[in-house]
Amino acid sequence: MNLVVLYLLLVKATLTSFSGLASLPMVRNDFVIHRHVLTDRQLNTAVAAGRIGPGPLGIYVVSVGYLAGGVPGACAGWLAMITPAFLIIPMLRFLGARAEHPRARAVARAVLFAGAGLMASAAAPLARDAITGPLSLAIVLASFILIAITRVDSLWVMLGAAVIGVLAFQF
Amino acid sequence: MAQPRLTSLSRLFARVGVTVFGGGDPTIAILQREFYQREWLSPEKFAIAFGLARLTPGTNVLAFCAAAGWYIRGLPGALAAVLAITIPASVLVVWLTRAYDLTTRYPLALSIANALVAAAVGTMVGAAVLLVRSQLKRGRWIRPIVISTGAFLLAYVIKLSPLQVISVAAVAGFFWPES
Repeated sequence: MNLVVLYLLLVKATLTSFSGLASLPMVRNDFVIHRHVLTDRQLNTAVAAGRIGPGPLGIYVVSVGYLAGGVPGACAGWLAMITPAFLIIPMLRFLGARAEHPRARAVARAVLFAGAGLMASAAAPLARDAITGPLSLAIVLASFILIAITRVDSLWVMLGAAVIGVLAFQF
Repeated sequence: MAQPRLTSLSRLFARVGVTVFGGGDPTIAILQREFYQREWLSPEKFAIAFGLARLTPGTNVLAFCAAAGWYIRGLPGALAAVLAITIPASVLVVWLTRAYDLTTRYPLALSIANALVAAAVGTMVGAAVLLVRSQLKRGRWIRPIVISTGAFLLAYVIKLSPLQVISVAAVAGFFWPES
């Protein structure tokens, strides 16, 4: 697939969505239904690879690019993923000193608190899948305590979980 | 606020990019913790970057990184932050795309993946608590608790989209000023 077309299709999908996986219907429409570049199974693999790995959920477009065009396609997908992020800079420039206005700060903080609520609502369905027994429940609670209460680096939390995963398999 | 070197900034974003699982929200919350510990970004600027990132098309966390990098080190900071948080993670996701079938074929890989998902859930909830707690001022907890709980209910029970929830919160924030 032509790399420019690949980039344009993916950037169209990312520019018209406001969260990681919200671009998925448009990607499916372009890549699976109209152009037959990918199968549904490949698209599922891309989403799963994005979910099981670190980083934002929107990183699945890199995987889509890779499946559609190899490593150059992955680069096109990466570029499509990061392009919209820089739109925030003119917005910040425009806001400038206005951002210091108490009303603007009150709105920003309200959005931040709502973000915390959204985060908890996103964790709820994930928790249903993740908690399959006492061990996984213990991992959830331990990682919650380590992140919310202590200053332990998240790297150690994840590495610890991976080690527990290995030990759970061995014993 | 301290002004770090671009290498220090890139190192932090790259490390967070490859070690935080569960999507953009926990990534932002972990970055918040790191910024406050290092005194790189004030709570006020963090809140503005977070709020605007939610209204920027595309992957919100990347817009947040661009904004945070911009506040910390200007345009080079924004570029360094976005490149550092995405390049190593993108290399990993390509590798995972190739190796994905392993997780379905090998029980050990599945066991590790399950443990990581469980840790990601705990991290997400912990990160949500951190996000609210770091903005709390003494004696002013009603507004944060009401807005965050309300957002949770709107998203989880009423099933509003994130953009709708954020819009409601922005309107509430406008008409309910901080005391």
